[in-house]
Amino acid sequence: MIRAVGKPLEEVIGMVQDYPRILVAGCDGCVTVCEAGGLKEVKVLAAALRLYFTQQGEPKQIDETSLTRQCDKEYLAQLGDRIDGYDAVLSLACGCGVQFLADMYTTKPVYPGVDTTFLGVTEERGVYTERCQACGRCILADTGGVCPIARCSKRMLNGPCGGSDKGKCEVNPEMPCGWQLIYERLKALGQLDRFEQPITPKDWTTSRDGGVRKIVREDLRV
Amino acid sequence: MAPTKDRQTIGGGNGTVGAVMVVGAGIAGVQAALDLANSGFFVYLVERSPAIGGVMAQLDKTFPTNDCSMCILSPKLVECGRHLNIQLLTLAEVQEIHGEVGDFTITVQEYPRYIDMEKCIACGLCAEKCPRSVNDEFNQALNKRKASFVKYPQAVPLKYVIDRDHCIYFKPDKKTGKIGRCRACEKFCPAGAVDFSQEGKTHHVKVGSVILAPGFKTFDPSRAATYHYRQLPNVVTSLEFERILSASGPFEGHLVRPGDRAEPKKIAWLQCVGSRDVKYHSYCSSVCCMYAIKEAVIAKEHAPYDLDCAIFYMDMRTYGKDFERYYLRAQEQGVRFVRSRIHSIDLGQDGDLLLRYMDEDAGLHQETFNMVVLSVGMEVPGDVKSMAATLGLELNPHDFAATHPLTPVATSRPGIFVCGAMAGPKDIPESVMQASAAAAGSGSLLSEARWTRTRTKEVPEPRDVSGEPPRVGVFVCDCGINIASVVSVPEVVEYAKTLPHVVYVQENLFSCSQDTQVQMLKVFEEHQINRVVVAACTPLTHEALFQETMRDSGLNKYLFEMANIRNQDSWVHTQEKEEATDKAKDLVRMAVARATLLKPLVEVPLTINQRALVLGGGVAGMNAALNLADQGFETILVEKEKELGGLARRVHHTIEGLDVQAYLDDLIARVRAHHNIQILTQALLVSFIGYKGNFVTEVLVGPGMYERKIEHGVTVVATGAQEYRPTEFLYGQHPGVLTQLDLGRVMHESPEKAAAWQRVFFVQCVGSRNAENPNCSRICCQGAVKHALELKMLNPEMEVVILYRDMRTYGFLEDYYLEARNQGVLFSRFDPEQSPRVMQDKEGLVLEFQDHVLQLPVRLPADAVVLSAATVAGEHEELASLMKIPRTSEGFFIEAHAKLRPVDFSSEGIFLCGSAHSPKLISESISQALAAAGRAGAFLADTTQTISGITACVEPERCAACLICVRVCPFKVPQINQENVSEINRALCQGCGICASECPAKTIQVSHYEDDQLTAKIKALF
Repeated sequence: MIRAVGKPLEEVIGMVQDYPRILVAGCDGCVTVCEAGGLKEVKVLAAALRLYFTQQGEPKQIDETSLTRQCDKEYLAQLGDRIDGYDAVLSLACGCGVQFLADMYTTKPVYPGVDTTFLGVTEERGVYTERCQACGRCILADTGGVCPIARCSKRMLNGPCGGSDKGKCEVNPEMPCGWQLIYERLKALGQLDRFEQPITPKDWTTSRDGGVRKIVREDLRV
Repeated sequence: MAPTKDRQTIGGGNGTVGAVMVVGAGIAGVQAALDLANSGFFVYLVERSPAIGGVMAQLDKTFPTNDCSMCILSPKLVECGRHLNIQLLTLAEVQEIHGEVGDFTITVQEYPRYIDMEKCIACGLCAEKCPRSVNDEFNQALNKRKASFVKYPQAVPLKYVIDRDHCIYFKPDKKTGKIGRCRACEKFCPAGAVDFSQEGKTHHVKVGSVILAPGFKTFDPSRAATYHYRQLPNVVTSLEFERILSASGPFEGHLVRPGDRAEPKKIAWLQCVGSRDVKYHSYCSSVCCMYAIKEAVIAKEHAPYDLDCAIFYMDMRTYGKDFERYYLRAQEQGVRFVRSRIHSIDLGQDGDLLLRYMDEDAGLHQETFNMVVLSVGMEVPGDVKSMAATLGLELNPHDFAATHPLTPVATSRPGIFVCGAMAGPKDIPESVMQASAAAAGSGSLLSEARWTRTRTKEVPEPRDVSGEPPRVGVFVCDCGINIASVVSVPEVVEYAKTLPHVVYVQENLFSCSQDTQVQMLKVFEEHQINRVVVAACTPLTHEALFQETMRDSGLNKYLFEMANIRNQDSWVHTQEKEEATDKAKDLVRMAVARATLLKPLVEVPLTINQRALVLGGGVAGMNAALNLADQGFETILVEKEKELGGLARRVHHTIEGLDVQAYLDDLIARVRAHHNIQILTQALLVSFIGYKGNFVTEVLVGPGMYERKIEHGVTVVATGAQEYRPTEFLYGQHPGVLTQLDLGRVMHESPEKAAAWQRVFFVQCVGSRNAENPNCSRICCQGAVKHALELKMLNPEMEVVILYRDMRTYGFLEDYYLEARNQGVLFSRFDPEQSPRVMQDKEGLVLEFQDHVLQLPVRLPADAVVLSAATVAGEHEELASLMKIPRTSEGFFIEAHAKLRPVDFSSEGIFLCGSAHSPKLISESISQALAAAGRAGAFLADTTQTISGITACVEPERCAACLICVRVCPFKVPQINQENVSEINRALCQGCGICASECPAKTIQVSHYEDDQLTAKIKALF
């Protein structure tokens, strides 16, 4: 899932301080699961903002809501009849949700309340790690189920490099070397012979190198 | 004492009496009383002092969790005080006993309190006005109380008492010789509760059995002149130090020394004062090492500066569960441990104290301390000895109750049980365990008379208020003058009338008095009140009382809210009357705001399956099964091996010389013959679902491995432990290197072989007290002593050397340690850094160790080297995950609370006993097994259970199935169900609210504490 973290309060204040009526809108999807932008975080942030602006002597109207998903128009449309009552929306959805919300309500300033960080997993509550960079052409079949694009700092297709030291990456001694992980996994699978077959250069056009990506599924369209 | 009148008989009737008398209301007595009362027996709880609670109420914190002692004890006391089937007899003593098991008649003398308990509202005016100050025994005479007093602020019953020995009224006038002067308390008491004419009462109580829990007293160190206790003011006992540390103590928790109220910079603890000393008590008091460490740690926390704490000891006996970790942590926190027994204390300058000691490097030291704490041991009080004589009980040579190791809570007289410190020095959890065990013993004797003496309460059908708009009734209490002297109650009453939804307001002199309750009941009906707000004292003590009145009028008890305008207002703002009145208005407004949003909650009754499942067929499991079966419950005993017996199958004698195998054979025969017990051997647990009262377990039963589904109401986990297989000291490489279990087998099967040995070494702490397994295995020191004595018996010429780190022969085991020394067994201490080495040369085994006296290495040949291998947890990972029960990092199961719920799991309906909990002796396993059976039986005694109305509820529409509730719940209740949303079983939910506060989608609410109910309160304030 998409992982995000809440922006520092000062940054949020800086974005919304000029608006008297603000709607804080959470998303019940990924950002709820990673505890960055669900209804609870909406309430916490809204309360903090109210407290701050009240203390500043300029109380504002700050309302709370959370949508099922901000990456679907039908849910965004649920704001239609109330959005005019606000001067700005602070969205706690991921970058997709913030933009889609802005797309729909073109004249309404929409601000991001979280920093969208990566596609990752929950190691344990409060610890998330990156697993996928959405490169568009999955090569996990060749690498024992460990992605070198997401988990090697250099995105090397044939590693490890000389910076791998005792299983850790030279970029950060806390960070596991992705290629070490691939090696161990292939070893456990009895597939170390894969190292004899170098991975051929990757077609990066399916990644960001081909520009903004789009999927059109003719089979699904209504 | 006062003259006696008013004879009365309580109980009566023929046959087995379904009532039990518990004598002594410390933590053990309170636990036994609660267990029995919850098991369907009526309990008379007899306490000598004016209030229950015992010594635990005097302690500051408790080891090893550092929980506040009073905080964890107080709810039990309140429960005891309010229990419909517990009658407290305070200021009372047992005088005579007649009859026999099942039908005793006991004469109890109740001394006058001189205060009418029905009338006293504990306002404290009598004490305030009393002119007579005397030493406060509760605070160890470190400060004063009045002649009219309560023992401590949280006392149960919270009723004042007049101390006849000091009250001026009872002192004859010097001239006229008449009594009756002063009477200040009588004059000022607003409730008319003082009654100097009160006389004692003699009760003749009929009970089926008796549990003795009279407790202990601390050794009086003034008996040993060299400590100069009572002469040097800064020499205190450990119990005095507890009071000094306590926030409710004489110095309000400020760490100062009694002599001059100066903050000590250096404190010394002297261990074994009155214990392990043949002049006074040769036994070890078992608890002093741990409490001294705790006191040192807590003292360091209290001091806002770097406090130097030094503990002078002979052996550090941190043998209990997780105690060694506590000891290690204390060392990390800078507590100094000096292995030296101090024989005398000298006066230094300015009240300081001079200690001279020899440390292990044989250096003579002199050190000055600002304060010295004497770690006094436990002893049997004189009145307990005389009570034992009255009851015709045998005592052991140390004057504790004589008990048999295999029936650890039975006294020499059938039907009379003992628990707590009277059965030997012990800490709180072991007292609690024994209390539950004694209750189980009573329960199995009297099972036919269950529910024959208990009282039940009839309540009317609840009134449905769901369609009605809120009609709030507000009752503002004067609490005598407690509230009314500060807060203008009439003003608050007038104000409350203006609040929305309020239909009725009244001022009460004492809301809690019996007549007010009756009057309130009428008001509820007359005014069709459907929400009740009482502005008075604290819900902690009074909520249940008001809720009971609501129930009596057919109102749901959850439609109630309190505003604490006494403890949180009038008591703390005595000087600011106007502001206090304003605050009272705020508190009432907040309470009303919440009350209007309260919903009636249903307490669903659920049936309880009356069958018990016991996992593990060792000594603990079999004892638990037998007791449950004797209590009348069908019990299924599941054992993974082919044979019953467990680890005890490999133990031949106890240290007392009892034949364990004969005991086991008999136990197995009794288990097999019992009509209520079904045994499944070679059985493997494969699935475990359900909740307290309604579990479903699947087992595969060998040899055919057929599947068997068992429905049961309770589960007892008694899956045992195992002996560590050493990889060190040539174990497994040389036949002369044995573990203690191996040695036991050799001595049993070929004693002639053992008798031929010339020299035997025991090496202690093999696999214990090290980095991998930091805890002490508890039983190996006594094991080594036991075997050493047996070897000496086989061949008195044999040289037996025990290499140890600390000899941990706690309690009466110390006698055997002494005996071993007398028999010439040699003891040599080693440091873990200089561990002994076992080698093999041409001649055979050689042992090399550092002699701690000579400070030189010694090398000696040996015929056998016996390793005191650790007791390690069984392989229970799968079981733990199937049953969702927690384990320590060493793999032992974790009980619900280390102090007060030692045999319960935090998941209700599951209980724990034996070495699956932690290493323990057979006698201790039996105690714990009985305790687990007692607790399980108390739960099964009711055929239905009510589930609290306060539980977490998920609104599934918003649930993101994020797993956070699943992860944070300490009871492992929430589950993501087939619909992919969180589901919380009401029967399992404890209503703690953690999931609700953590749910990122805000889709979990705790009923009665819903967000809008709480925010309404806050919004009402601002």
